Amino acid sequence: MTHFAVTAVGSDRPGIVAAVTGAFAEHGCNLEDSSMTILRGQFAMMLVVDAPAGVGAGDLEEALAGPAADLDLVVTVRPAPLPAPAGDPDDAAASWTVSVYGADHPGIVHGMASLLAARSVNIVDLSTRMVGTADSPVYTMVLEVTLPIGVNPHDLEADLATKAAELGVTCRLHPSEADIL
Amino acid sequence: MAVRPVLALPDPFLQRPSAKVGTVDTDALALAADLLDTMRAREACVGLAAPQIGVGLRAFAIDVTGHRKARSCAGELVLFDPELLSGEEPVIGREGCLSIPDLTGDVARATRVVVRGIGIDGSERVVEADAFEARALLHELDHLDGFLFLDRVTSAHSVYRRKVYR
Repeated sequence: MTHFAVTAVGSDRPGIVAAVTGAFAEHGCNLEDSSMTILRGQFAMMLVVDAPAGVGAGDLEEALAGPAADLDLVVTVRPAPLPAPAGDPDDAAASWTVSVYGADHPGIVHGMASLLAARSVNIVDLSTRMVGTADSPVYTMVLEVTLPIGVNPHDLEADLATKAAELGVTCRLHPSEADIL
Repeated sequence: MAVRPVLALPDPFLQRPSAKVGTVDTDALALAADLLDTMRAREACVGLAAPQIGVGLRAFAIDVTGHRKARSCAGELVLFDPELLSGEEPVIGREGCLSIPDLTGDVARATRVVVRGIGIDGSERVVEADAFEARALLHELDHLDGFLFLDRVTSAHSVYRRKVYR
C-alpha cells in the first residue's frame, strides 16, 4: 500500500466531496486523515489516502481529471510516505494554542510564524479568518503548536506578546491539552 | 474486585444504552469495586462508566480530587441509575476518553449540574457539582446512553490527535 497526499481546490458548490472521493473509491483507495474547509468561497480539500499496490500517482491524477474538469478544481497528487510511529503519547511535546487578532495588514502570519520557527516551535494546526469591514478589516489567527523541551511557555508568551505589539495585534498562549475522563 | 480491560472504539458495546441497576446488591457492589479499581489503575483517569468495562448497566465512578480544574469535589463517588436533574452554563472544553485513546475533542458541557442517583449504601444521593466535576459527570452519563464525546464535538475541526496525557 502507498500513501498519497492529495489537494483539490475550487469554487465551492455541492458535490465536490462526493465527486473527488468517488474517484478514490473506484481505485480501492482508503481515505485516512483529511481536512476540508471553505476559504473565502474556495473549497479546499487536503487528504492522505492509502492506495492499493499498483495504483500510482498517475492513476489517481487520471481518475481525478474527470471531477476536476467538471467542477473546475485544481488537483495535486504526490507520494506521502508515512512518518515513523510517534511512540508513547506521554513522550510527546506539550500542546499549546496561540491566538492572534487585531487590525488586518500584510505580515502578521509571517511575523508570528518566524518567531516560532526561530525557537523550533512546531505549528501543527493553523487557521485564519479575515472579518470586519472593508474600511476596518480584522484578522484572527489560531495556531496549535508543540513546544520543544527547553522552551518555557511563559518566556515564549512574553516574546510573542512583544512581537504582536510590534505588529499592532494581540497574542495569547494557553495550554490545549485535554482532560481524560 | 479487579482491574478490568477497558473497551475502545470501534467496539459497538460503547454505543449501546445501558440497563437500570435497580437494587444495590452484591453484584452491583462488585461492579462498583471494579469501576474504582480500573479507574485507579489508569493514571489521570477521573471517571469510568460500566459500559467501558463491558457491563451494560447504569453505573459509573468518578473522582476529581486534586484536579487543577475542579472546584466542587464529592471525592470518590459511585452512582447507580444516575439521572441529570439540571445542567446550566455550558462551556467548551477539550476532553479525552480511555475508550477513544487516540483522539480528543472540544465539547460544550454544562458547568453547573445536579445529578441524582443511588450510592453504594443503597440510598438516594443528590450531587450538586460545578466546573470540572460537572463535566466529568456529564461525560460519564453520556456513556450510559451510548454516547461518546465524538457525538458532542462542537465542529468538524474540533477533533484532534491526542498528544499529551495530563
